[in-house]
Amino acid sequence: MSKPTTILGISALYHDAAAALLRDGELVAAVQEERFTRIKQDPSLPVRSVKWVLEEAGIGIQDVDWLVFYEKPLRKFERILSTAVATFPRSWKAFPRYMQAWLGDKLWLRNNLAETFGVEPDRILFSEHHLSHAASAFLVSPHTEAAILTIDGVGEMATTGLWRGISEPPFIEPVAEVRFPHSLGMLYSAITAYLGFAVNEGEYKVMGMAAFGEPKHREKIDELLKLDPGGGFSLNMDYFSYHWHPTESYTEKLVALLGPPRFPGEIFAFRDAPGDYPPEYIERCHHYADVAASLQQAVEDAMLHLVRHAHETIGGDALCMAGGVALNSVANSRVAAEGPFEHIWIQPAAGDSGGALGAALWAWHCVLGNPRLEPMSRPGLGRAWSRAEVREYLDDLELEYEDLGTAENGADRAAAELAAGGVIGWFEGRFEWGPRALGHRSILADPRTAEMKETVNARIKFREAFRPFAPAVTEEAVDDWFELAPAARDPARYMMVAVPVKEEKKALIPATIHVDGTARVQMVRESDNPLFHRLIKRLGEATGVPVVLNTSFNLKGEPIVASPVDALATLMRCELDALYIEGFRVVRSRRLSGEQPLLEEV
Amino acid sequence: MTIGLASEISWRLPGWPVKLLTSFSQAERGSCYDMLAAVEQTERRDLRVRYFRHAMDESRHAGLFLKRAREMGGMNRTQAVVADAGYLTDNGIVGGQTLIERMGERDFLAFVYVAESDAVEQFNVYLERELPDDDTAAMLQRILKDERFHVSYSRAALDHYRKDGGEVAVTRAMRDVRWNRIKEGWLRFSVNMGHFVGNIWLTLMYVFMIGPFRLFARIEDGGWQSTRPAVGDRLQAARSQG
Repeated sequence: MSKPTTILGISALYHDAAAALLRDGELVAAVQEERFTRIKQDPSLPVRSVKWVLEEAGIGIQDVDWLVFYEKPLRKFERILSTAVATFPRSWKAFPRYMQAWLGDKLWLRNNLAETFGVEPDRILFSEHHLSHAASAFLVSPHTEAAILTIDGVGEMATTGLWRGISEPPFIEPVAEVRFPHSLGMLYSAITAYLGFAVNEGEYKVMGMAAFGEPKHREKIDELLKLDPGGGFSLNMDYFSYHWHPTESYTEKLVALLGPPRFPGEIFAFRDAPGDYPPEYIERCHHYADVAASLQQAVEDAMLHLVRHAHETIGGDALCMAGGVALNSVANSRVAAEGPFEHIWIQPAAGDSGGALGAALWAWHCVLGNPRLEPMSRPGLGRAWSRAEVREYLDDLELEYEDLGTAENGADRAAAELAAGGVIGWFEGRFEWGPRALGHRSILADPRTAEMKETVNARIKFREAFRPFAPAVTEEAVDDWFELAPAARDPARYMMVAVPVKEEKKALIPATIHVDGTARVQMVRESDNPLFHRLIKRLGEATGVPVVLNTSFNLKGEPIVASPVDALATLMRCELDALYIEGFRVVRSRRLSGEQPLLEEV
Repeated sequence: MTIGLASEISWRLPGWPVKLLTSFSQAERGSCYDMLAAVEQTERRDLRVRYFRHAMDESRHAGLFLKRAREMGGMNRTQAVVADAGYLTDNGIVGGQTLIERMGERDFLAFVYVAESDAVEQFNVYLERELPDDDTAAMLQRILKDERFHVSYSRAALDHYRKDGGEVAVTRAMRDVRWNRIKEGWLRFSVNMGHFVGNIWLTLMYVFMIGPFRLFARIEDGGWQSTRPAVGDRLQAARSQG
C-alpha cells in the first residue's frame, strides 16, 4: 500500500491563524490557533495547531508532503507598497510601520515556515488569499458546479472574488475581482471602529446592534458605498483612511457625516428600559444603532447585488461563499431568500482561519489534480479529550462531580436540568471548526422565558445586552419553528443564517428571538452531532419545545473553550449551574474560584 | 530605591495611573493563561489545584484592575477598545510554547516565586508611599493577600526540589530568572529603540525615495475587473510567493 499524500494548510500572520490537515484529500483535522493559545484571533504561526493536527493524524512533520500557505506574501507586499506610493504623503505614518513588519518577518516567509515547522523549502506552496477562500467553500460543498463568491477585507489585491466552480481539474476558475481599497469588509470594519468595537472582532456586535435601529442614515451610507450597473461596487475613499493610516480606518469627513464616534465599552441604553440614563444618552445609543442598521442594510443590498451578478455571469443553481463578510448571517438570509440561487453552501470558518483548509484543498485538487471527495459533514474537527483524561483533571482539582457513566446519559441528564431551568456548560467531543459554537463547546439554556436571556447575559456571559442568543433545533422540527428558505438549509447547519421565527411559535422561545423577530438558528442533523441532537430531542420531550438556547462556551473577551481546563476555568468564573463534560456533571467549587480559601491559606 | 522612584513617577504623571492599571490588567490576564497552561502541562499533579487557583486569582485581579482603571476615567480610545474586546497584549507564549514548556517545571516555579515576590514588593511600595487613591489602595490590599499566597505556595513547591537535593539547582534557577527578567527588560528597550531608529530611516526613505514615484501610482478603480486563469505548470506557479 502506498503512503498517503499528506497536505498541511496554514493561515497566519494577520488574524485567525489556523492549521488543517488532509490525508489523501480526507479532512483529518482543522483548528484555529486561538483555541490553544487563548489569545483571541492569534495571528502568529500556528505552532500549537500544527503540533496537534499531526498528533491527531498519528504522524510527524517528516510525513507532510506539502505545506501550503493560504496566500502569496510577495503579491501582498506589492499591494502595500503600491498603496503607500499612491497615497503619498498621507501614508507617512503607515509606511515605516508596515515596512518594519515586512522586512523583519513576513517577507522571508518561506524560510520562516521551513524553520518553524521543519519542512524542506521546496515542499512549501503558496495559494492566493481569495482562491483559498473559494476552495474552502466549493471543494467541500455538495455541489459539482457552482458560482463562488468570496468577500472579505482584503487579500493580496482582491477584496471580492468571483469564481466558477467546475467538475474537472482545475475545479476553480477565476472570473473577476474587485480590488483594494474598494472593500465591503473594510467598509464594515471601518464603521465597526466608528461604533467603538474592535476591528475584525466586533463586526457581529454591529450586526446585533443593527436590529435595534432603523436605517435612517441609509442615504449617508450610500455616499460611502456605490453599487454600479456592472454588478460591482466602489467606495468613496474620501471617507476612509485604512489604506494610508496604520491604525485609523475612517476620516474626519466620515465623522462630519455621521456625527461623533461611539466610545468603546459604553453601555447601550434602550428606549423601553431606560434605567437611570438621561434621555439624550439613550437617543445617542439609538443613533448608533441607526447607523449600524443603515450599514447592515446597505451591505445586505450590496451582497444581493453581487450574488445577482454572479448568477448572471455564471448561471447554475448553486452558490458557494466564503470570506469574512460571508459570516454576516443576516445578509446570508437575504441572499438565500431573495437571491437567484436554489442552493447555497457557506464555509463555516468563512474568515481567514478557513483559508488554511482552503489552501490544503486547493493543493490537493487544483494543483495535484485529484478528484473531489465527500462534502464536509460535521463541524467538530478540533481536539477531543477522553473520559479518562477528564476524570484525571477532576480528581486532581479536587472537584465535586458525578459520573453519569456515558456521554448519552450526560445528554439525558443535561436535558432534564435544562427543562428545570438550569443553565449549563456543555463540553462534548471534538471542538468546532469556525467561530460558532455548534454543540460541542456550548452554554445551553431553556429558551422558553424572556428572562433567560438576561440571566445568561448578566450572570454568565457578561456581554452587551443588545446581542441576541441563538436557538438550536433538531432537523426534524426546524420547519415547525422557523421560516427556513430551501437555500438556507445547508447554511443553517452551521448557524450561518438568521431567519424569521414562525409567528405562532414566537411566544414559546422568547429568549432566542432577536428584537427584529429573527433568530440565528442552528439546524442540528443527527449525523452531524448525535449527542447534541439527542439532548435537544430529550428537552423537546420534557418541555414540548425541541429548541435550546445555544451560545458559545466562553466569557466576554475570551476565545471559546477548547480543553477541559478551559471549561473548568470558565465554570469557576461565572454562575453556570453545572458543567456537563464527557459524561461527568461538575459544579462550581468555591475554593477553586477564590470565594473560600484553600487549606494552606487557612 | 528604583521601584520607589519609578512608582513616584508613574503615579504622579497625569494619565499614567490608568495606563499602569490597564497594563497590570493585561499582565494578570496573560498570567492567568500561563497558569492554566501549567495546570495542563505540569509533571507534578499535586500542584494542579494550586496552579488552577492561582489562575483564577489572576483572572479576578485582571478584572479588578480594569474596573478601577475605568472608574478613574481618562482611558483613551485604543485602551478602551482593547479592554472591551479582551485582546491580550501580554502573555508568556513564545514560538508556540507556553511559559512552563519553555522553562520546565522547576524554573517555572522559580519564575512564579520571583515575579510574585516582586509584585508584593512593588505593591507595598505603592501603599507605603500612599501613591494610589483610597479606592485603588483598598483594591491593592485585596490583591496583595492573594499574591502572598502565590509566593508561599511557590516557595513551598521549590522547597520540595531543595529537599530532593536540588538546593544548588533551585538557587541557580532563581538567579537565572532574576537575570532573565533584567535581560528581557533590556531587550524590550533595545527593540523599541531599534523600532524608533528604524522608523526615522524608513520615514526618510519614504520622503526621498517613495515620494517621486507618486506621479506614476494611482489607487485602483472600483467595480469588477476581469481575471484570467493561470497558464503553465501549476505546481511551479504554486511554489511562487509572488
